[in-house]
Amino acid sequence: MKNSILEIKNLHVNAKEKEILKGIDLKINKGETHVIMGPNGSGKTTTANAILNNPMYQKTMGQIIFEQEDITNLKTDEIARKGIFMSFQLPEEIPGISVTNFLKYAKNKTTMQPVKVFQFKEEVKKYMEELNMNPKNMERSLNVGFSGGEKKKNEILQMLILNPKLAILDETDSGLDVDAIKTVSKGIEMFKTKENSILIITHNTKILHSLKVDYVHVLVDGKIVKTGDQSLAKEIEENGYNKYKNI
Amino acid sequence: MAKTNLKEINRNIYDIKNKDEYEFKIKKGLTPEIIEEIAKQKNDPEWMKEFRLKALEVYNKLELPTWGPDISELNMDEIATYVKPKTKINDSWEDVPEDIKNTFDKLGIPEAEKKSLAGVGAQYDSEVVYHSMREDLKKQGVIYTDMETAVREYPELVKKHFMKCVPVTDHKFVALHGAVWSGGSFVYVPKNVKVDIPLQSYFRLNSPESGQFEHTLIIVDEGASLHFIEGCSAPKYNKVNLHAGCVELYVKENAYLRYSTIENWSKNMLNLNTKKAIVEKNAQIDWVTGSFGSKISMLYPMSILNGEGAKTEYTGISFAGKGQNLDTGFKVIHNNKNTSSVVNAKSISKNGGKCTYRSLVRINENAQNSKSSVSCESLMLDNISISDTIPVNDIRTDEVEFSHEAKIGKISDKAIFYLMSRGISEEDAKAMIVRGFAYPISKELPVEYAVEMNQLINLELEGSIG
Amino acid sequence: METLKLNQTPVRTSRNFNINNIKLNNVEIPEKVEEFTNLEITGQTNKIKIENNLDEYFLQYGAGDILINQAKSIANQKLKITIDSKTNKDLFLKFQLDKKNINLIDNIEILANEDTKATIYIKYYADEKIQGFHNGILKIFAKNNANINIIIVNLLNAKTNNFMSIDSAISEKAKVNYTIVDFGGKNNITNLYTNLLEKESDCTINTIYLGKEDQLIDINYIGELRGENSNINMEIQGALKDNAKKHFKGTIDFKKGSKKAKGNENEFCMLLSDTAKSLALPMLLCSEEDVEGNHSSAAGKVGEKQLFYIMSRGFEQKEAMKLMVKAKFNTIIESIKNEELKNEINDKIDTILD
Repeated sequence: MKNSILEIKNLHVNAKEKEILKGIDLKINKGETHVIMGPNGSGKTTTANAILNNPMYQKTMGQIIFEQEDITNLKTDEIARKGIFMSFQLPEEIPGISVTNFLKYAKNKTTMQPVKVFQFKEEVKKYMEELNMNPKNMERSLNVGFSGGEKKKNEILQMLILNPKLAILDETDSGLDVDAIKTVSKGIEMFKTKENSILIITHNTKILHSLKVDYVHVLVDGKIVKTGDQSLAKEIEENGYNKYKNI
Repeated sequence: MAKTNLKEINRNIYDIKNKDEYEFKIKKGLTPEIIEEIAKQKNDPEWMKEFRLKALEVYNKLELPTWGPDISELNMDEIATYVKPKTKINDSWEDVPEDIKNTFDKLGIPEAEKKSLAGVGAQYDSEVVYHSMREDLKKQGVIYTDMETAVREYPELVKKHFMKCVPVTDHKFVALHGAVWSGGSFVYVPKNVKVDIPLQSYFRLNSPESGQFEHTLIIVDEGASLHFIEGCSAPKYNKVNLHAGCVELYVKENAYLRYSTIENWSKNMLNLNTKKAIVEKNAQIDWVTGSFGSKISMLYPMSILNGEGAKTEYTGISFAGKGQNLDTGFKVIHNNKNTSSVVNAKSISKNGGKCTYRSLVRINENAQNSKSSVSCESLMLDNISISDTIPVNDIRTDEVEFSHEAKIGKISDKAIFYLMSRGISEEDAKAMIVRGFAYPISKELPVEYAVEMNQLINLELEGSIG
Repeated sequence: METLKLNQTPVRTSRNFNINNIKLNNVEIPEKVEEFTNLEITGQTNKIKIENNLDEYFLQYGAGDILINQAKSIANQKLKITIDSKTNKDLFLKFQLDKKNINLIDNIEILANEDTKATIYIKYYADEKIQGFHNGILKIFAKNNANINIIIVNLLNAKTNNFMSIDSAISEKAKVNYTIVDFGGKNNITNLYTNLLEKESDCTINTIYLGKEDQLIDINYIGELRGENSNINMEIQGALKDNAKKHFKGTIDFKKGSKKAKGNENEFCMLLSDTAKSLALPMLLCSEEDVEGNHSSAAGKVGEKQLFYIMSRGFEQKEAMKLMVKAKFNTIIESIKNEELKNEINDKIDTILD
């Protein structure tokens, strides 16, 4: 019980008046890496958005507990400040806000402490080198005109800087070439510690080739239909999801 | 961009009302006698007096505009067109009377002069109370003075250019301006002189039920360059004030002029201002405009690209809140080959405010190989506000590249969610997106003004978002 | 002849911009007209009722009062078309002006009842030699869930004056798709007002126009969005040669209550001569927050690189030009599901651009 970081209990979620999640249960402990896999439309992105309480999704039943605290109905920014981070499948473009100022501001908000400028700069520089990012991007507007790969790397950079307790990575590998996937996996490895937990959401298994995970959950039609270890991902890679449909 | 360390500003600094003290205040209304009295008070040469009287005749003949915001509440019989403050023009802030100086101090003008300006003019009601410029510029022959002094000391230059770019027949309020103009700045930059840091004029209207009709005339001679900034503000009174200034800019061959405005008139002001630039061969005029104040604005700076290869850029933002109707935009006439114009206009409407972008792009028959690209974006912050886009595109020849794009909408929910997922509150997220929206304009301003603009945005957003 | 002041925009702008309305001095409005007999109605009339008596209805805009009054009082063709078919039916109306039928004043009402579908082709032709006059009203009521395609083809000659006032009222989940081919007319004045009254109502307007010689084309399209999630799309593609002049006024007006509504407007004018003139006023008016409005407008000549490319494949300049114009018009022409008409339009483009 002490080790539990996130617990989802019987979660039902609607999007545009249609039920997408039909009762999800999930428990993640400190230091664990979980994967939710499932075909398109199974409710993966909805799960991530529901945890962060995106107002475009309505929870009709169930509970989300983070570190013993009910966060089901907290506002998104409050949830983020508790220590949950979400890497977006399609990160928003925000003109007029530079990446560096945005990061500084977000860091300040999540830590509730003034950012030490020099230390912060060094940290950003270090991570950007690790992630093969162009330092010029720091002064550009947030995600504006970034390529798909640059956007995803920028999400990982934000994760490393903000250093949450739980990182949810929604389709972080989709649309990336092999090299970019390696870089992103490297970023995730850097984030992994005994304390930090990760929830990876993906419809393919590419990223799992270079990442060790503890649990794999299969999500089909709004329900988790099977849970296993890394070998489950391998099995799905070979046989697809058909076996799990219509269960 | 999130300048959280900025000190909170207080709308009060704009609202300081000094006692309505003056040496002379003209009777309200408009008659030839009043015009003659103004001419007498101002010691006009004969030609200027005649000019004023002719302008009054034109004023009486012209109709009010049949389009745009309703300005029927304006009653010229209630407006004093000339208010002379109790001081002369000073070249040291020390000599400016205490209450007037305090006002400018609080607006940060003398401070800005020390830090980042090459010269400053300050107008209080109808007269310029302070004027000064760096010595080295004087030595290079740059003239920066108030308009009355220019009429006396540079009669040839003034006669040749005064209301030639903006003729009094343009519209009713230009005719009014011609009749009662007072104060304003005159700048002449000689050939090939580059003024590397900006000159600024600040206009302050203190007297209630009065008008400000300053005239700005700038000539940037061949190969020269200049950045000119004007700032405007007034305290709020219950009755209508009128601002009908006129700006005439002459940008000669190969010259460059940037004209920046931060307008923050009080919200009882009718701002019916006219600005025009004539741009000659390979010369360029850039306009940067932030409109925040006034009750009603009708303001459409205009570039007339007369010379081959002449260029213009317009970057503007309007922010209309409760009770405000800001009808702004840009006009450009392409009159020669290889001319180009770039327009980037933004507006924000909230709390029942109305923003209108109104424009004209005309590419004439002889303007082959010209280019024009226009982009307008409007942001609606609630559903009681209004945002209209009314652009006219008049293309009269085929060798052109012309494109126009406009967008209207609200702050994206997805963008708000994205920022909130990083721990930023909803209110901050919205303010951040709005400031980001305004960034293309604020980045064009010198840093002190960009800061002021962001403060104005924060001030405007306060309490209205959430 | 009195001056006609037509096609007023919903919001005025500076008079000096010459676009608030169009003034015509050279048009005679006939006071009396003979019977018009050259109308051909073909197609599938099963579950489509055609009558000659009309309801009283109101037009929000119209090209001009004098024209509306004329069409309401002395129309020589009155048609009320009631659609009750749940599957698509094609109906063709072909008006041909000729020596005996020189003036056409038509007043057409289309009532598409709930859940119905139809495609109505309305075509106007004039014999080459005549100097005709056409003034028409077209009023469309699209009831809940109706889906109506209206294809208006104006292939009148360049001597005939053409005036059209179109008005549609669109109810819940109903769709009205206009395809307008606007090639003819000495003075060619079209007013189209569409009122997206209820939720999820939808309107598309796809227009191609061609102007030559001294033709004057004045287009005034106004879309008002009132229903939640309502949607309007305007796509206007045109080409002008000789001294032809075009005024395009397109307004998308988001009224209060039109939450989540979308409006798009795209106008492109190809200038094929240095004396052709394009004046455009694409307006976006908005009094609702949660909407998405976009417009774009562009003008210029045919891209020289493209032209060169086509000519390098053996096309003469004129042919290459035709090809480019057709390429621009292609999407709109292809949306017409009638091969014969498509060919006719393509042939007409060839003749006009010759």
